[in-house]
Amino acid sequence: MSTEDSSCGCDTCRCSTEAGDEASTAPLPWESGDSFHPIGKGWEKEMRAMLDDTEYDTDLGMEMAEDAMRLVAGEITEEEFHTEYHDAVTEEFGTDDRPLPNAFSNRDGDVSLAEHLEKLVDGDISRRETMKKMGLGAAAVGLGSGVFGGSGEDEDPTFVDTEAAQEDENDGTQWGMVIDLERCDGCLQCVIGCMEENNTSTGANWMYVLTYEDERTEEENFLVRPCQHCSNAPCAKVCPVEARHIREEGGMVLTDYETCIGCRYCQVACPYGVNYFQWGEPDTPLEDIERVDVSTDDLQAMDAEERRETLEGSGDHFRDGRGREVDSRPRKGTMGKCTFCPSRQDGNMGEDAVGTVACMDACDAAGMSAIHFGDMNDPESRPNRYLERRREVEPRADEKFEDPEEEWEEAVTGSPESQLSAYKLLEEIGTEPNVVYLGNEPGPEAEQVEGPVAYEDIGTVDRRKDHLDLGAAANEED
Amino acid sequence: MSSDVSRADILRPIQRTTKAYYVALGVASLFAGIWAIAWIYQLYHGLIVTGLSDWGTGGGVTWGMYIGLFIWWVGIAHGGIILSAAVRLIGLTRYQPVARLAELLTIGALMMAGLMIIVHLGRPDRVVWSVVLAFPRTIHTSPLIWDVTVITMYFVLTATYLALTLRYDVSRLRDDLPDRFSPVYTVLTLGYSEEEDPVVQRMVWWLALAIIILAPLLLHGGVIPWLFQLLPSMPGWYDSVQGPQFLTIALSSAISGVIILSYSFRVRYDWGHLLTDDIFRGLTMWLGLFVLLFLWLQLQQIISGVFAPPIAVAAATDAMLGEPLYWAAIGLAVLVLAFSFITVVRPAWFSKERAVLASVAILAATFTEKVLFIVEGMMYPGFGLYRAVPGSYFPSVVELSTLAGTIAMVAMFFLVVSKVIPVVELHVVEDKHGQARSDRGDGEVNQ
Repeated sequence: MSTEDSSCGCDTCRCSTEAGDEASTAPLPWESGDSFHPIGKGWEKEMRAMLDDTEYDTDLGMEMAEDAMRLVAGEITEEEFHTEYHDAVTEEFGTDDRPLPNAFSNRDGDVSLAEHLEKLVDGDISRRETMKKMGLGAAAVGLGSGVFGGSGEDEDPTFVDTEAAQEDENDGTQWGMVIDLERCDGCLQCVIGCMEENNTSTGANWMYVLTYEDERTEEENFLVRPCQHCSNAPCAKVCPVEARHIREEGGMVLTDYETCIGCRYCQVACPYGVNYFQWGEPDTPLEDIERVDVSTDDLQAMDAEERRETLEGSGDHFRDGRGREVDSRPRKGTMGKCTFCPSRQDGNMGEDAVGTVACMDACDAAGMSAIHFGDMNDPESRPNRYLERRREVEPRADEKFEDPEEEWEEAVTGSPESQLSAYKLLEEIGTEPNVVYLGNEPGPEAEQVEGPVAYEDIGTVDRRKDHLDLGAAANEED
Repeated sequence: MSSDVSRADILRPIQRTTKAYYVALGVASLFAGIWAIAWIYQLYHGLIVTGLSDWGTGGGVTWGMYIGLFIWWVGIAHGGIILSAAVRLIGLTRYQPVARLAELLTIGALMMAGLMIIVHLGRPDRVVWSVVLAFPRTIHTSPLIWDVTVITMYFVLTATYLALTLRYDVSRLRDDLPDRFSPVYTVLTLGYSEEEDPVVQRMVWWLALAIIILAPLLLHGGVIPWLFQLLPSMPGWYDSVQGPQFLTIALSSAISGVIILSYSFRVRYDWGHLLTDDIFRGLTMWLGLFVLLFLWLQLQQIISGVFAPPIAVAAATDAMLGEPLYWAAIGLAVLVLAFSFITVVRPAWFSKERAVLASVAILAATFTEKVLFIVEGMMYPGFGLYRAVPGSYFPSVVELSTLAGTIAMVAMFFLVVSKVIPVVELHVVEDKHGQARSDRGDGEVNQ
């Protein structure tokens, strides 16, 4: 299936705005009643009373709440909502930390507030993040009491914790990849890059390239398979100890090697097969992995500033910016997989390494540049710029066929809008992967075949079971 | 069926210890010991000593016999609840003589199930701390945590139930119980007075009701199948018939476990008049019914897996149907079904030994079917592009020793417990002799 539209998080689709316009014709919940709030007049009064108890303007709060309800119903857009009250909010609170209109075009793509609320109910995004995104008004009255249940005396409902919101490290970054399979030649340099970076054990091929044959395509096809870093990751959902988690900053899916109990449920739940358990001793002992001389406990006990100073440029390859053990190969008895190199993203490897991953570096060095890593929410990021460039193909099909019966064989490309065959792997399962592929998608009958370079030739094994079957002897081998 | 069941009968396992007992204990300890060594070996080297591997590029399966054993033991643990429910809730006093044995089986089997979870982990040392710290959040999303929670609840409820019903018996039999265990009896009967009997009886009734809601519907018909059936990544599992299917397997293996256990005690302690033929006939009939349901639900799975299945489901079903061991398991189940129904029509064909044989067959069948279910489920994932899919798996010696080891540990559990507490309720004697005999004075030991 080709997902030409919004798969990359870019702003090609404006469905939220359009949907809002359409929705305005239908009768809205509060239009029939005597209150703007679906729960009714009584509730509205209570909210008014609550606002009266605060030092802030009651009428402003109520107006914003009313509009917030309209926003949720899709009657007005987020942009309109935030713009309308910007001045009033700045005047009342001295600051307006809500995202301004220009933020919408490049931050969240076309994810609407309503969708964010759905996610909040599902527990997908943190409360703090949502508050920040919703802005003051919605949190104040219309939703604040209902969703957050925070109407206690000491928790002023009109005041969103802006300080906390500023402190929050989540800047809306979603690390992801665009992988151009048509540029891949199966050289496995990315696999080598990953192995060298992460010191993975034999056969734990975090980055993996499948060469496959599909009866519908004659040429050799490749599928480059890192972890898909799903936004709705089944592995994180099933983890019994929250070791496997989606990191708020950067949205990558990581495993905390300190809490993982090794039940392997993440591996069972993952539809892609990207997990590699540390069945025995890691091939590379912990001493050989670069770390600053501070224990993980001490790192985590530091405040954010001190920790950043300790780790920045330190080359620590085991802990991320939060001081958690999530990078490099796992400890014995815990789960490992592709990490999107958090120690690079957090500056441990220096300023230059931020926004890069080892496999991409190796791919670039090989002159292939099939892997494009970056912030999927930033239209200026490398993957998005690459997508943009790949779209700019000569619109060959703008000339209509005179006689389609005769001429269709001449046509080289499809319609100008669908030059790009882009897809996400197993997207139908609902995992919301953050890796976008350009090129052929393997069909259900596709079969992996011998690739141009064998895994055995690059110092690992393909079928790891052969190695693990050595049992305890495999521990001593490497 | 004779009516001369006496206190002496109930006390016999506690008072009579033969050479055979020590031999049995020795054999059980040997197998348990072998397993213990195997586990220590695994703890030292890691799970690399198992036959498991990564699925996908790795060419293996990541869950195998340990999880199969876990499911199997939880299934057997349902014996207690079936019998307790029959006796306490429905009033089928026919099964009262085996009720406590079944409840003890629940305790023993649940301990093995819990042990299997621990043994299966890469980092068992962290299990308590990691689980407890994250529990308030993971309880919302992790089926494995639901599992641990429900099993813990089941264990606590059953242990409470057992402790409460033991107070009555121990306080009345105290004089005939060996003094070397007196601290145990003191704790068990702490603050006991006869006034509590009716209260305890009501509590126990409610406990039984709670357990019967919890165990079949939420444990084996709930969170355990949900470990698998909620995962769209594995088409062989993603199937809503798994709940009922798991439940029929649990009930079948539970009845089988109780039959084998009852037979052992009957033979060892001349309990022919206590654990009567009638009980064995009744249990075998129930076994037949549950096996029928098991086969019927297998049919459901097969028919939807072969008629017009999506490609991935077809691959999983083909693998299941192409596995000789699967048909061996189904064949055994069919034979047991036939036996149990034929003996209703032709009672002369029934014998306790045949019932035991049928039970062993069912336990072998359910174990095989469940291990295959797990292993083949992982061998045929939805994303089957990898050359190493389907993977392969055969349990290593370390894993295999666990089957023998856990059975041995449950045997040890019974050998030890039956020396300390009466494994048949005193009510059985009283109900057959009237209240007059419940008093002391008839405790003469006639061996």
